[in-house]
Amino acid sequence: MSISRRNLMKGAIAAGVAGTAAGLGMKAAQAAVHNAKGERQHELFKQFKGNVILLPGKYSGAVSALDLSVPETLAWYSYGLAGIDMPIPHHIAAMPSDDPYRGFDFYQTMQPPAAPYVNENSPEWRERGAFKMFKMRYDGSGKQNKISVVSDVSEATGMALGVHVSIGVGPNANKYVAYADGQKDMVLITDLGDNPKAVKAFRVDYDPVARQVNISHVFPDQSTGKFDYLDRKGMKTSHEAMLGEELMPADPTAVFVDAFTWHPELPLGAILIRRLGCCAIVDTNTWEVLAMLSTAKGSPDNFPLVKQQGYTWTYSVPSVLTPLHEAGFITSGEYFLACNNVLQNNIAVYRSEDPNPLKWKKETFVEGFGRKYLPLHMGNVPDSRWVFFTIWARKPHNGYICKVDPKTWKVVAKWDTGPDPHTCDCTTDGQFITTVYSGHQAGQSGLVIIHADSDEIVARLPNPGGMHDHVVVPESWEGLKSSRSTSV
Amino acid sequence: MTTSRRTTLRGRTRAGVSIATSALALTLCMQGQVFADSKDGNFPTADQVGGEVFPKGLQVGDTFPTDWTIYDDQGRKVDLGKLIKGKRSILAFFISAVPVSVDELKKLEKAKAKSNDAQLLFVNTDLVGGKLQGVDPIEETARTVRVIQQEKDIKHSMFVAPNDALSEHGLSNLLGFRGLPTVYVVDDKGKVENVYIGPQNWSETNI
Repeated sequence: MSISRRNLMKGAIAAGVAGTAAGLGMKAAQAAVHNAKGERQHELFKQFKGNVILLPGKYSGAVSALDLSVPETLAWYSYGLAGIDMPIPHHIAAMPSDDPYRGFDFYQTMQPPAAPYVNENSPEWRERGAFKMFKMRYDGSGKQNKISVVSDVSEATGMALGVHVSIGVGPNANKYVAYADGQKDMVLITDLGDNPKAVKAFRVDYDPVARQVNISHVFPDQSTGKFDYLDRKGMKTSHEAMLGEELMPADPTAVFVDAFTWHPELPLGAILIRRLGCCAIVDTNTWEVLAMLSTAKGSPDNFPLVKQQGYTWTYSVPSVLTPLHEAGFITSGEYFLACNNVLQNNIAVYRSEDPNPLKWKKETFVEGFGRKYLPLHMGNVPDSRWVFFTIWARKPHNGYICKVDPKTWKVVAKWDTGPDPHTCDCTTDGQFITTVYSGHQAGQSGLVIIHADSDEIVARLPNPGGMHDHVVVPESWEGLKSSRSTSV
Repeated sequence: MTTSRRTTLRGRTRAGVSIATSALALTLCMQGQVFADSKDGNFPTADQVGGEVFPKGLQVGDTFPTDWTIYDDQGRKVDLGKLIKGKRSILAFFISAVPVSVDELKKLEKAKAKSNDAQLLFVNTDLVGGKLQGVDPIEETARTVRVIQQEKDIKHSMFVAPNDALSEHGLSNLLGFRGLPTVYVVDDKGKVENVYIGPQNWSETNI
């Protein structure tokens, strides 16, 4: 067996021969990155140089960083090391890095294990796992790459939320990160510091008798500066609603808040409210609620404000024609797209350029998904030439990924990538779409790379973690606009 | 978020057809052709679940339907029609996944202790867990119900009612409830006397 370049480099660095590294055309800081030149698959994968993908394994309890250009895992971290029994790394967002091989920060949410996979109410399971948010760091500057916890954001703020995390862009770049949770129906905005501080928190509650929804600012305890919503505290429902469970009986106030997505050009963000098929548009300067978009076909563009009392905004929601799942902005900010699903399977297209979201109108819908396929997640490319969507289906159907042309709002390509498809993202050059499928947390699972323009599936990599999300580390704040920020 | 948990009640024959159809769809897809929809795996239309996400539901004066399946806390099938026939009944629906609905059980039981003219039945409206553990969902839910019974010191009978929220015949669509707890007071003629959605300040007067 020949000596690998990596081992050679490690030896060189260990000997302190930094000049040798430079002479071989590789920075010393990249010593723990494998050079696959000469290997048969190098010709295929070398085009992905610069793309590091984070893969949280939902039921494997670990997060890993993948160098797609080799491909190899650069480093991985088991959240069991953070003291969590049965950790469920859920959603993820990465900060930009101009050299992801050297290092970058990322944010990870976590939720307890839950139905239908386990009986979360049985004595054996109900204390396992945790709601958590972590700020994490990948360090590739040494002899061995590593991923470590920078801070437990939940402990720092007193609020633990377990679903989507997104980082502010545009007017909110380098300022904020947002966390959301549909079991507590809360959103938390923090700063980006290593010792994160809460900036604003929201709670959303439905009144089924009055048919109104209340969105309130939530405030920390003045004496401690922290909230009192750690781990299960504040939980309305012991498991996150699965697709279609917007129809299930739940806490009467439950609305299943799922994410906060950021406008790329305006100081606005959207709180996604699955069960009500609504998105609350928030002013990110004042954190006031400006509008309540109603995304279903056949419903008004937005629901009326009934009253604002103190820090609570009450909107009338007289009927909910369909739930939604994710919603977000295309990279340009020109459109806000909402994945309506379950009772209507379509994607609402709002024009979202006006600073006043009350003026946003539904211009059209992406349709043709039938009753079996649910628009779920969306994925952007930097120049907004396409928008990609995950279209989910129940077993025994696989679901698929589709490409939509934003000039016509028609589906122009689709791929059956595997069972239980989840999020889409794109490589830093915007040429390739990355997407994961999880096999319902037990079966076939992997990462698929699709050429965004030729529609060719370029590569498929195995991944045993039951990937529910992934993210390509963006190279800049501008690049983050097509990552886990504007959409989820 | 995650995947639907509502598919486990499908019959073997239907599943077989589904797999075959799925394989055909996959084959077509691999050939670059348009997907072929099959009959199963569909999500309901609004009309099938009461018109929208939050339907009007069962109203006072309506006949309370009894054509749905119910099991006792040992997982044995029970005839609901016989159970409530000729008796004024309070049916309190809850699920173990919703803390506020579980907390309501003891409150209701205490209020009921002051009034003896009706029978009180607690109905867990869901099935829990098992996809990764291979357990029988009815047995597993019955076990959970027994745990609640013991921990909350519940004296009245507890039941398990499987619910397929994505089927027009699913219990929550049949009765039209979305928020739990939901409590129906049914008179001895089988008519709905009152409906209570969400936690209540229970007294002998409202039950």
